[in-house]
Amino acid sequence: MNNSYGTKRFDFIDVTLRDAHQCLWSTRMTTAMMTPILGAIDRAGYAYINILGGAVFDVSVRYLQENPWERIGLLCEHLDTPCDALTRAQSLYTFELFPDDIVALNSHALARRGIEVLTVYDALNDNRNIESSVRSGHAAGMKVNAMMTYTVSPVHDDAYYVRCTNELVALAADFISIKDPTGLLTPDRGRTLFPAVVQAAGNIPVQLHSHCQSGLAPEVYEIAIRSGFRFGYTATEPLANGASLPATEDIVGRARRLGFDTSMNDEALAEVASYFHWVSEREGKPRGKSATYSADLYEHQVPGGMISNLRSQLDTMKLGHRLPEILEEVARVRHDLGYPILVSPFAQYIVTQATLNVVQGERYKTIPDEIRKYARGYYGRLAAQPSAEFLERANIDPSEYVTEAPAAHLEPAIPRLRAELGAAATDEDVLLAAFYDRKLIDPLRNPAPECRFRTTPLTELVGFLANRSDIEYVRVRFAGTDMTIAS
Amino acid sequence: MAHEHLTYDDLLRIVELIKATEHFSEFRLKVGDIEVELRHRKSATSKPVSARVTKDVIEPPVAGPAERVPPMAPATWPEGSVVIRSPMVGTFYRASAPGAPPFVDVDQAVKPDTVVGIIEVMKLMNSITADVDGTVAQILVADAAQVEAGQPIIVIKPNLTIGTDDRYE
Repeated sequence: MNNSYGTKRFDFIDVTLRDAHQCLWSTRMTTAMMTPILGAIDRAGYAYINILGGAVFDVSVRYLQENPWERIGLLCEHLDTPCDALTRAQSLYTFELFPDDIVALNSHALARRGIEVLTVYDALNDNRNIESSVRSGHAAGMKVNAMMTYTVSPVHDDAYYVRCTNELVALAADFISIKDPTGLLTPDRGRTLFPAVVQAAGNIPVQLHSHCQSGLAPEVYEIAIRSGFRFGYTATEPLANGASLPATEDIVGRARRLGFDTSMNDEALAEVASYFHWVSEREGKPRGKSATYSADLYEHQVPGGMISNLRSQLDTMKLGHRLPEILEEVARVRHDLGYPILVSPFAQYIVTQATLNVVQGERYKTIPDEIRKYARGYYGRLAAQPSAEFLERANIDPSEYVTEAPAAHLEPAIPRLRAELGAAATDEDVLLAAFYDRKLIDPLRNPAPECRFRTTPLTELVGFLANRSDIEYVRVRFAGTDMTIAS
Repeated sequence: MAHEHLTYDDLLRIVELIKATEHFSEFRLKVGDIEVELRHRKSATSKPVSARVTKDVIEPPVAGPAERVPPMAPATWPEGSVVIRSPMVGTFYRASAPGAPPFVDVDQAVKPDTVVGIIEVMKLMNSITADVDGTVAQILVADAAQVEAGQPIIVIKPNLTIGTDDRYE
């Protein structure tokens, strides 16, 4: 539990600019919303700042029309704290599998923009899928944080995660994380799982990344701190809790009460929190609310952001009233498919299969192609054998099963892309072309929106008033300031 | 609020008050050392504009009910035809990608495992197969059209088969 200096330490990794808005704002935080507060985030004392994940990259291309490489560069440049980027291993930022040459090019592109830690997970915990990321991340000079994804099932016991930890130790990961995307960890499970993983990890520091959907995460972080975890992922208080991660302020308090040193600066944390309270108000975005414990969550395991999305999709199909039935079916489909984890992309696949089973009134009448590929081992090893009922309906020919590593059947893509794009194309252009259609990439060439690197409440007030065409005259006086705006 | 600078807490309070008084033409407030005086425009048509909120999120256009494409042909077919119906609510695609050749055309021969189209639901692509030996007789639904569960999409004229294929029993 003690580090080499004899003092107990627990350090923090910020997810405010990544997972927090991914969970609460559908990933819609723009670069311009981030830049004014980077100075305070830097002073807050985080060990690392996570600025990128699959959804952040994808949403910035598809919906914000911001070049993600520019954002990565800008944030790394203005933050002295080392930045961390998360990818979905062989899938990087999307749901497809990419060949090893693309994975390696991406590692080098991230490092060149200033990323210092590459965090990587595979949705099936098939660590063959993270090998090329670990290798190329190290070659590019980054530290690599390898994550294993937590779920509750008869096969995902403590021994399973110890085996997984041993594999990550063998890969020479610099950090090992437990990633709990749906917030399923409980203090009870943590008491057995955490010490086992810390012991298996040996000298490699262990990190916890858990969401607050069950309401139990702050307690679970305490168990992790006591068990010898060295880092926890957290978010600024207004963007914490609910489907997001615990509040930094909350976990810092707990770590201190347990006698652990942290390098966190309360004044800077308060400044970051008050800024994001204001930005939430200005942008009309929700703040995180503490979730109430619900036993159903442990059956269906559907992430919170996904349930609200599914509800609205079902409503457009006039099927909203069947949501409870569909969630029950999700639990059965999970079992039938050998306990895939409800994390992207399998969360989407499982929920779709469950919806089809319920809506068609017959189980596995239609099986989406992605589910068949999963069952064939195309994406990687399954945690457990699918049920006989599913296998009979899927009718997969024995010759279709894939046993080699998923990327082994993928041809290198860079030569083809370079030939198509021409000599002027940069590595970043090649990567974007590997991930997206031309029509999604073209808008990224538009000039980036202007970013300010500092702001004050007064500046924000003036900006707010100036944007309201319904106000004809306003005068604000406080302390020594007297301000009038009239049109 | 006895401090020199406006804080984010002060700002949130001021803005909440401004939003709460939108229906009044005038608003004056003095709390501690903060004073706000505000007059709204008379015209009832002017609406609050929050430019930042609207410009940041540009969603792709979503096909609404108005864009539903009616069947291209009257939905009648000769006796003995095999009708492929959409297994679910979704979007029907005739080709694997925009601009790619269609999976099948009228008069084309198909086998049971021939893919005749894709139904997309919640971003997942579900291949639809002919399930029968025969020839495509009619394609009833336009590419990228919304389809209902059970809606006929393709009519196949099956090859005459001799034997005990239970598909026709």
